Amino acid sequence: MTTLSDLEAQATRHKPAFGEHAHILCDNLVRIYKTEGVEVVALQGLDLLIEKGELIAIVGASGSGKSTLLNVLSGLDIPTAGLARVAGMDLLSMTAKDRLHYRRSVVGFIWQQTARNLLPYLTARENVMLPMKLAGKKAGRDRADELLELLGVADCAPRRPGQMSGGEQQRVAIAVALANSPEVILADEPTGELDSDTSEEVFGALRRANRELGVTAVIVTHDPLVSEQVDRTVGIRDGRTSSETLRRTSEDGDVIAEEYAVLDRVGRLQLPRDFTNALEMERRVRLELERDHIGVWPAGAGEENGE
Amino acid sequence: MNVWQLVKVHRAAALVLALLALSASLLLAALPRGFEKAYDEAVRGMLGDVSAQQTDLAVTARPNAPESLVSQPGDFETRYAELGRSLPPNLRKVVVPLGQGTSHFSAKTNGTPVDIRLDGSTGPSHEYVDFAWLPGAANRVKWVEGTPPGPSSTLARVPGQPELRDLKVIEIGLVAEARDKMNIKVGATLLLGNSYPVVARVTGIYEVTDRADRFWEHNYEVTRAVIRPIPGDTESEWLTTGLVSDEGLASLDERRELGYSWVYGLNRDTVSSADVKAMVAQVDDYKRILTDLSGGRAGSPFDLRFGLETGLDLVLTNFLTVLRTAETLLYLLLGGLAVVSIGVLALAVQLLTERMRTALSLVRARGASLGQVVRTGVGVIALGVAPAALLGYGLSYLVTGPSSLLGHLVPVVLSLTTILFATGRLALAHRRPLKDARSDLVSVRPSPRRIALEFLVVLLGAGGAYLLRTRGVASDAQELGADPLLMLAPAGLALAAGILTLRLYPLPLKLFTKIAGRRPGAVPFLGLTLAARSRGGAALPVLILLPALAVSVFGALVSGAISDTQSRAAWQDVGASARVERSAEIPEDVVARVEALPGVNSVVRAGKGNVQVEVGGLRATVVSIDLKDYRELVADSPLTVPDAPRGLGIPALMSKTLTPYTELEIGWHTRMKLRNMGRLDELPGLSFPNDNLIVMPFDGPKRAGLRTYTNMLLIDGDVDRATLERTVGLSDTEIETYATSLTDVQNAPLAGAITVAFTIATLAMGVYALVAVIVALVIGAADRTKALSFLRTLGLSQQQARTLTVLEVAPLIVLTAVAGLALGLTLPLVLGPGLDLSAFAGLTVTDFPLTFTTPALLAAGLAAVSILGAFAHATAGRRVTTALRVGESS
Repeated sequence: MTTLSDLEAQATRHKPAFGEHAHILCDNLVRIYKTEGVEVVALQGLDLLIEKGELIAIVGASGSGKSTLLNVLSGLDIPTAGLARVAGMDLLSMTAKDRLHYRRSVVGFIWQQTARNLLPYLTARENVMLPMKLAGKKAGRDRADELLELLGVADCAPRRPGQMSGGEQQRVAIAVALANSPEVILADEPTGELDSDTSEEVFGALRRANRELGVTAVIVTHDPLVSEQVDRTVGIRDGRTSSETLRRTSEDGDVIAEEYAVLDRVGRLQLPRDFTNALEMERRVRLELERDHIGVWPAGAGEENGE
Repeated sequence: MNVWQLVKVHRAAALVLALLALSASLLLAALPRGFEKAYDEAVRGMLGDVSAQQTDLAVTARPNAPESLVSQPGDFETRYAELGRSLPPNLRKVVVPLGQGTSHFSAKTNGTPVDIRLDGSTGPSHEYVDFAWLPGAANRVKWVEGTPPGPSSTLARVPGQPELRDLKVIEIGLVAEARDKMNIKVGATLLLGNSYPVVARVTGIYEVTDRADRFWEHNYEVTRAVIRPIPGDTESEWLTTGLVSDEGLASLDERRELGYSWVYGLNRDTVSSADVKAMVAQVDDYKRILTDLSGGRAGSPFDLRFGLETGLDLVLTNFLTVLRTAETLLYLLLGGLAVVSIGVLALAVQLLTERMRTALSLVRARGASLGQVVRTGVGVIALGVAPAALLGYGLSYLVTGPSSLLGHLVPVVLSLTTILFATGRLALAHRRPLKDARSDLVSVRPSPRRIALEFLVVLLGAGGAYLLRTRGVASDAQELGADPLLMLAPAGLALAAGILTLRLYPLPLKLFTKIAGRRPGAVPFLGLTLAARSRGGAALPVLILLPALAVSVFGALVSGAISDTQSRAAWQDVGASARVERSAEIPEDVVARVEALPGVNSVVRAGKGNVQVEVGGLRATVVSIDLKDYRELVADSPLTVPDAPRGLGIPALMSKTLTPYTELEIGWHTRMKLRNMGRLDELPGLSFPNDNLIVMPFDGPKRAGLRTYTNMLLIDGDVDRATLERTVGLSDTEIETYATSLTDVQNAPLAGAITVAFTIATLAMGVYALVAVIVALVIGAADRTKALSFLRTLGLSQQQARTLTVLEVAPLIVLTAVAGLALGLTLPLVLGPGLDLSAFAGLTVTDFPLTFTTPALLAAGLAAVSILGAFAHATAGRRVTTALRVGESS
């Protein structure tokens, strides 16, 4: 019999919190854009865990909330409810000063539009030095050159964005994002405007930054070239994480991709739309616990079974 | 971030900002300078228009006892210096030293009758000869006969007057006119004074070397022999004054009507309008100081009772009245101009900040603090504004004139306002790093708080106008210099009108959109829809266009009212296009010559005289004229002429005091009986407003049994004064023409300055309005290009795109123009009671004639220019490539 003291002990016993050790943690994240009379729910209870040093891709249809998630993670947008923590900083309760510090030294990011990442009248080197100056650090010319070197665009240092190709611009943009040695870099469709060869270069640069600098990288992308080369791809549907694809290299060198549905903390599960459509599942399904799995049946089929 | 680099990158927008700051600073600093100069010229002009007696400060005193006599020239000089030292500072600054200009001192007697002429000569039956000791006259007269007066002597006996013994003989010199008209020759001996008589012996005759010397305005009596009618008598009396020597001064004593005066001449060129108020107060102060200095008071070194004779305070007070109106107009003008130019500057700031937005958003996102972003942005704005404003201020020194505090403040205020606006705008725009996250959502409806605030502003604007209208100008405006409500009410009204326009203009648009939606052709519908959506960016252009137009319209009305009244005043002064008047008859051949002059359309003959009415001893001006002909003559002028009197005998129209008499007998050429047929108080140009007037038919004297008399010609036609003078050829005629009279009225102080200022302001505001529309369009260019590119991929032609742009801005411009026109027409109604334009117009400006033509033309012109600007913007540089980048977000 459980006594009251047992219950107390159980309550005070240290239990590892959800995602306690994760580098990026989103728990039941909600973001609602609200203006007079109209509400747009961009994120509706999104859960996401990313470990330190991971390179993941986030995919999803247009309007699924990918960009909103990225804006929240980059500290440019504040979520309406839920929990968002990056490198131990709570994104909901940050003061303006914390937020500034966060943007200066915890995250770096890259937008889809090459032109939006760089100031057109500054050279690549000056663009890289800009965040350092903004943060009040001594502008390190050497560090800028080092970063450009690492990303393979050392020869672009004295050039302005207008004199570079799209791929070069994006790689310089990655260097800018890395300027203040952030722990996380976020990229919103970094290869969206590029052809496949250039995309390869840019993605390569991102991966190099991830591997060599140990930066956690989150890439929102539509590009299969990108999403199929990362260790983990998170799918977002209707403002929630719906699926995860894990990739590992098999013993014979092939890449094996396994797609999983995401089960959230309260046990919610999104079934892929193809599956539900195929079986005409609507409104209700019947679940059955088997020894090693759970069976899901369309409501009608279950009723027939029951007969 | 490097501010200079941003300036270089956005140099076009920065240049626009700089040019606007320069022009605004120049205008706002130069206009007050020009006005200050005009004020100074006006006060100097007004002082020049009146006699030296009115403008100079004359300290007078009358010795009442022997001990208070001042009989030595040296004592006069000492007192001059002592009294001068007590002059308050502002007055001391403007007086000229003794011996220069009109500064002098004198001792004169007054009203000394000639008892008998001892030399046996004969003169007028009533004559007066006074003494004047006037050292200043010594080098202003030329002795033409005899010698200057010398020391006094004594006459033991007077023949035939045994009771008179040991009389003092004072030598005098007389003006030549006295010799000629009063028959007093050199050597004449006159027994003067009915009591305590003295003898005056004439030793010399002089002539005044320069009659125009303002010195003589104080001493008119020594330059002329004048005749004046004796009240209640048919006879007249002659008066003149003789100059005495320094020794003669000692012989003048308190038993004559002796008066001393120390005159401090005013140098009007040193009077500045800024000091006028202080000067008026100090004239009063000086009167008090003189009382304190007067004899009998403790510590006073003088035995005299001093008084101050001057009209300076009155002249200056009149000037202050004119000045107040001019200042009110200037403040209105400058206020309007300031609002408009600050509005345009704000628009240019908006343009520049929009241009910098991408860069600043990026650095904000990359970790710049709000302070860093705002500092950078404001730095760019400040680099654009401050040097330009300073340069404009510097350039304003090209306009000569004294500088005023207002002028000095201009560059500072302009720069500060612009920078503050930029700070606020940048801080709001970049407060959150990602403000434009969801611009696709519907626009925010105004909060109830904002609606309440706007309602309050409208209410206050209307309330202020109503108050001003019912109350008129504050009675304490005299002390305040200007009525604060008079300044604030128009601004409040303009703001209220702006808010109303902004809030109400979607309503007619909705109607037009509905109509356009039902018609074929997508362009009007699309254009009007776009116009209805662009509310947010419309506020500034409305707030610029509206006051610009209102002030311009108001200026046009003021100028119109002034020039209308000036014209009316000139007509009333002359009574026709030209008037030839003479006291004697005008010969028939002269009349014929005038009639034959080229440019003369018609001539009306009239007779005019001054008569004594039989009853009541009243005097009246009598005019014989054919009123029917006269009415035809002045048909195109603002003059009104009554119907001619009709009836048997000699019918006449008479002025108010004569109305009780149905019949009146006058002696004009002959005795004639007039029948009073109606009332007529004044014939402008032909009679003075307050005189009694009798108007009879031209043939009145003929009906009385004589013939017609012509001593006045009224001319219709275009003929100048010089020609008329030559043609008439009679030296004693008075010739007036409408043109010369109008020029006189137009030369009224400040009238020209006000007209010029309004013209400059109207032009400047027109340019600003055009700039405002174009800048507003350029700001919205990116969005518009996006929308148009999208539409062009759907098949919109270049021409249609142009029409669309024009249609997008035209409704706002047209509606704002209508609102501005309405406000401009309302302003005179509101300000009417507070603005006295009479000083500029030569007549009381009774009401503002609501002329619609000029204001409507202004409104239409401004609207047309603005729409043309929009068209030009739409035509220039719409690249096809932009259409290819559709779908790309900024």
